[in-house]
Amino acid sequence: MDLRDCFKYFAGRQGDGVVITSAGVTSGTWWRTTHDMDQVFYLGASMSMISMFGAGIAMGAPKLPVWVFMGDGAFVMNPGMLMVERDLNLPNLKHFLVSNRVYNATGAVRLANAKRNDYAAIARAVGIERVFEIDSLEGLHSQFDKIVSEPGHTFTVLEVEPLREKPGGVPIDDVESKFRFGRYIEKKAGIKIFRHPALEPLNR
Amino acid sequence: MMSDKQKEATSLIVEQLVQSGIKLVASLPDDWIAPLIDAVDKDDRFKHVPVNREESAIGLCSGAFFGGIPSLALMGASGLTTCIYAITKINYSYHIPLFIFATLRGVIGDPRPHHISNGLYLTKLLDSISLPFLLVEERKTIERIPAAFKHCQAMNRPEVVIFSEAVLLGEA
Repeated sequence: MDLRDCFKYFAGRQGDGVVITSAGVTSGTWWRTTHDMDQVFYLGASMSMISMFGAGIAMGAPKLPVWVFMGDGAFVMNPGMLMVERDLNLPNLKHFLVSNRVYNATGAVRLANAKRNDYAAIARAVGIERVFEIDSLEGLHSQFDKIVSEPGHTFTVLEVEPLREKPGGVPIDDVESKFRFGRYIEKKAGIKIFRHPALEPLNR
Repeated sequence: MMSDKQKEATSLIVEQLVQSGIKLVASLPDDWIAPLIDAVDKDDRFKHVPVNREESAIGLCSGAFFGGIPSLALMGASGLTTCIYAITKINYSYHIPLFIFATLRGVIGDPRPHHISNGLYLTKLLDSISLPFLLVEERKTIERIPAAFKHCQAMNRPEVVIFSEAVLLGEA
C-alpha cells in the first residue's frame, strides 16, 4: 500500500478528530497530503511518544476522536507503550502503526529483525482486543468503519511500501503549532487548555 | 509498613498535589516513592496511570496538557535521567509545561552504590539544560509544591521537585 494514498483516504474521513504524527515520513506525508496546521500535531523528534501523547488528549477530551500515526521505527523503541494503552483502553484513541520496515526518513536503513516483526501479535499479546492489519487500500476502505467509527481503542498495522522520495519537513514553528492545535481542541472539545497562572486558579 | 511519620509526610505531599489542581499522575516507582504512588493510586481525586518507562510518563503528561488535565510525572532519579531527550524535544521545543517529582538519590545518607551517579550528576544535569528544580530536604518545603507547579505553568516549561529520603520518611 502506498502511504500517500492511505493518508489521502484518512484525511477525507477525518471529520472533527485530531491527528498526531511521529517524526519522519508520517509527519511529512500527512503535511503534504493535508497542509493542515490545526487538527494535527506534528510531534517531530520524539520517537515513540505519540501514542502516550494522544492518550493524554483522549483522556481529557473523551468525545474527540484521536488518531495517532506512528512509524514502526518509532514503535520499536517503546513497544511497552501498548501495555499502558491497554490499561487505559480509551475508546476514542486509535493507534495506527505505519509499518514500512525501514527508517525511511534517515536513509531507508532496515529495522532490526525487520521481516519477522509481528506488530499485531505484540499488540494481541498485551491484551489489546481490537487489532487490525491492513495491507491494501481496498482493505482499508472495507475495514475503516470497524476500526474508526465503532467506539473502542484500536491498534491497526498499516503495511506500506517505503517512500523513495522523502516528503520533506513540516513548515510550521513548534510554538505556533502548540497554540493552533490547542485552540482547535479548546473549541471542538469545549475544554480549557491555556490559562494565565497569575490570573486563574489552577485547582479547578 | 509505613511509620506514622511517613504516612503524615505522604499525606502532606498528596494534599499539595490536590491544592495544585493535579488530576492525573503517571508513575514508575523507585522504592523511596512507592508509598506515595500507593497513596495516589488509592485516592480517587486522581487518575493514576502506571507507565512502562519514565519517558511514557513524559509523553502522557505532555498530551494531557492538550486534554486540559493538570498532571504529574512521578519517578525516581534514575528514571528522570533517561528522560532528557523527551523533555528537551517535546517540552522545550513546543513550550509544553510538565511537572515532575523525582528522588534525590546517591547523596550522603543513600548507601546504594548503583545510585552514586545520580548523587554526582542529577542536579548538575538539570542545571546543564536549565531545568528548574525545587529541592525538598525539609518538611516545610513541601508546602512550596503548589508554587512550583504554578511556576511551571507560567514558564511553559518543565519543573522538577526533588525529594530527599528523610522528607519522604517524615524524618526531616
